[in-house]
Amino acid sequence: MKLRRTTPVVLAAALALTAACGGGGGSAQPSGDGKSFEFWSFSGINQKKTVEDFQKANPGVQVKLTEVGGSTETAQALTTALAGGKVPDLVLIQGDDLPKFVQQPQNFQDLRQYGADKIKSDYLDWVISQSTARSGEIIGIPTDVGGMAVAYRTDLFKQAGLPTDRDEVSKLWPTWDAFIETGKKYTAATGKAFVDNAATSVFYQAVNQGPQKYYDPSGNVVYATSPQVKTAFDLAIKTAQSGITARLSSFEDGWSAAMSKGDYAVISAPSWLLEQIRNNAPDTKGKWDVAKIPGGAGNWGGSYLAIPKGAANPKAAWDYISKTQSPQGQLDHFVDSGALPTTPSAYQDPKLLGRKDPFFSDAPTGKIYTESLLGLKPFLIGPDSAAIGQEFLNAITNVEQGKGDPAKAWDTALANIKTSIGK
Amino acid sequence: MTTTVSPPQARPESESETQVRQNWSERLAPYAYIAPFFLIFAIFGLVPLLFTFYVALFDWNPIGEHVFVGFDNFNRLLGDTRFWNAAWNTISIWLLSTVPQLLVALVLAHLLNHARLRLALFWRMSMLVPYITSVAATTIVFAQMFDRDYGLLNWLLGLVGVEPINFLQSGWGSHAMIAVMVAWRWFGYTTLLYLASLQAVPRTIYEAAAVDGAGAWKQFRHISIPSLRPVIVFTIVTSTIGGLQIFTEPLLVTTTSPLTCGSARQCQTLTLFLYEQGFGQFQFGYGSAIGVALFVLIIAIASLNYVLSTRIRPERG
Repeated sequence: MKLRRTTPVVLAAALALTAACGGGGGSAQPSGDGKSFEFWSFSGINQKKTVEDFQKANPGVQVKLTEVGGSTETAQALTTALAGGKVPDLVLIQGDDLPKFVQQPQNFQDLRQYGADKIKSDYLDWVISQSTARSGEIIGIPTDVGGMAVAYRTDLFKQAGLPTDRDEVSKLWPTWDAFIETGKKYTAATGKAFVDNAATSVFYQAVNQGPQKYYDPSGNVVYATSPQVKTAFDLAIKTAQSGITARLSSFEDGWSAAMSKGDYAVISAPSWLLEQIRNNAPDTKGKWDVAKIPGGAGNWGGSYLAIPKGAANPKAAWDYISKTQSPQGQLDHFVDSGALPTTPSAYQDPKLLGRKDPFFSDAPTGKIYTESLLGLKPFLIGPDSAAIGQEFLNAITNVEQGKGDPAKAWDTALANIKTSIGK
Repeated sequence: MTTTVSPPQARPESESETQVRQNWSERLAPYAYIAPFFLIFAIFGLVPLLFTFYVALFDWNPIGEHVFVGFDNFNRLLGDTRFWNAAWNTISIWLLSTVPQLLVALVLAHLLNHARLRLALFWRMSMLVPYITSVAATTIVFAQMFDRDYGLLNWLLGLVGVEPINFLQSGWGSHAMIAVMVAWRWFGYTTLLYLASLQAVPRTIYEAAAVDGAGAWKQFRHISIPSLRPVIVFTIVTSTIGGLQIFTEPLLVTTTSPLTCGSARQCQTLTLFLYEQGFGQFQFGYGSAIGVALFVLIIAIASLNYVLSTRIRPERG
């Protein structure tokens, strides 16, 4: 059992080693040749293709791509790398993980030195403001945003006697209450679950739809008093208790299996989730369509490209950013992959508006998702936003699984958040 | 031979001087032989351990500031319900996995030691298959078997009319599920340890006992168990240390909330809690404090175990 015994030593060693080298970070002098750089990205988003296209268009440039893991793992690896001092030249950071890094801008190159402030206006202002530090440094360029919509199964809606046309379906649920009522009709008609779960498909959407989420504009934590958060939470608890959910947490194995079996008919889907539906349930091609989100507008997700302070080839990395993340670059990427541009000038482009997705019954996804962004009221994301969101999600899941008292769920969530983040 | 090669003759030293020198090198040699282990242990074991104690006294942001906070992290830990929850989960999973595992291994070792067992080598070697299988693979397969909607186990239960059990969401269910995975991985290894010890017991003792009319149970109780005492103590101590550090199984058993092992932290163990705080939230100071607490807990339980298990003594008289 020697193997078992070594685990804590390894953990402790990793903890100590990373901590030991902490704080220093970034004494290396830029010495790159401008021709090659190291790029850390997420797995499962087909980054390889973008990189290959870039290398084809820019012969002689070598991109060393590492797909670290999911967005969380990538952020964890980046933190460890920053603490240890050996960093990549370019890294992709997911929006929820970003504030922790923006709060410590000394770990990153200020992209203004390469001209980021001149192209700043190309991007949605509330998106690029999230990667701008308090003292003005721009540490990240946004690559995509999520937008919001609802993906639904037309065949299952038909069986339940509901309309199947995407405009009519959008009219079924102008509000989340109407969404729950539609769900009750569906479940009554079919005996099956309507939506995958309450936590992600209702709470994570509704909470992202107002002007203020867990932080007020000056950066104070207000999750406990923010009316928008309480409303979204109550809606999710109501959904969890209404018997219309499949009680399957997003991204778990059962969730994927049920998706291809048609065990639920509706998922709230930011644009990046469409790719997951395609991959998880390839046999359901053509049976899906995309309607508007209740409430009409909102955003969930999106990522940023940043250059760590100690990068050896910052110029080559910036060259990649400026070429791939220009309005034209993001538009091309959308046409290829469906990832929504952060550059509003692309939103009126016929290539974006005219793109139809055959997997989703030829839904004009570019049009649907950009509309959800234009009506959006931006809010501040803070360093503990991810931790706060996770505790709310857990409290809702507990009620949905029959393990939590719905009357006490809100107080439990608040208590857990306080334990977790200390405020 | 034209030249002589024996060095002692070439040296004009007195015999006693050579004697002293030899004594010195003979005395130092053993230390030199064991030095590599202790050097490596010092670098990768002791220094990180001591450094963990040091970091535990700070509010330590790996990419920001380090603020000295004294024993605040430990105060916070004692009042943290998540810590006590993780401690309870750890002990529960450890008991559920270790006790049955050691008992099963004991019985299996006794059976495998039987003189007339056919294909003995095959049975003995196959014990090791779970042990050499990757933990991740084992966990993923078991997690699917225990799945609420599409799992093999609930399908079988459904055949006899039992409602599907939501193993993962319930406290005891998730503990049992992880305990099964741990026991599955280790029972073969433990069995082989016991078997090796049993084979050192002379057959004649069993034969003599059989002649005297002792049945299988009496042989097991009065010959096998007493002769296994040292190795039982060893396995209890090591499985305690291992059991209190269960990490991979709870990490991989859920895909949605891996760092908490479920929405209510129902199967989050202490090491997983440490990992969540240290590498999920990047509170290195607090994570280190959890590490120190775990260290103390393991030493305490291992000592208790040692005292208790040394009571298994050969029967006398």
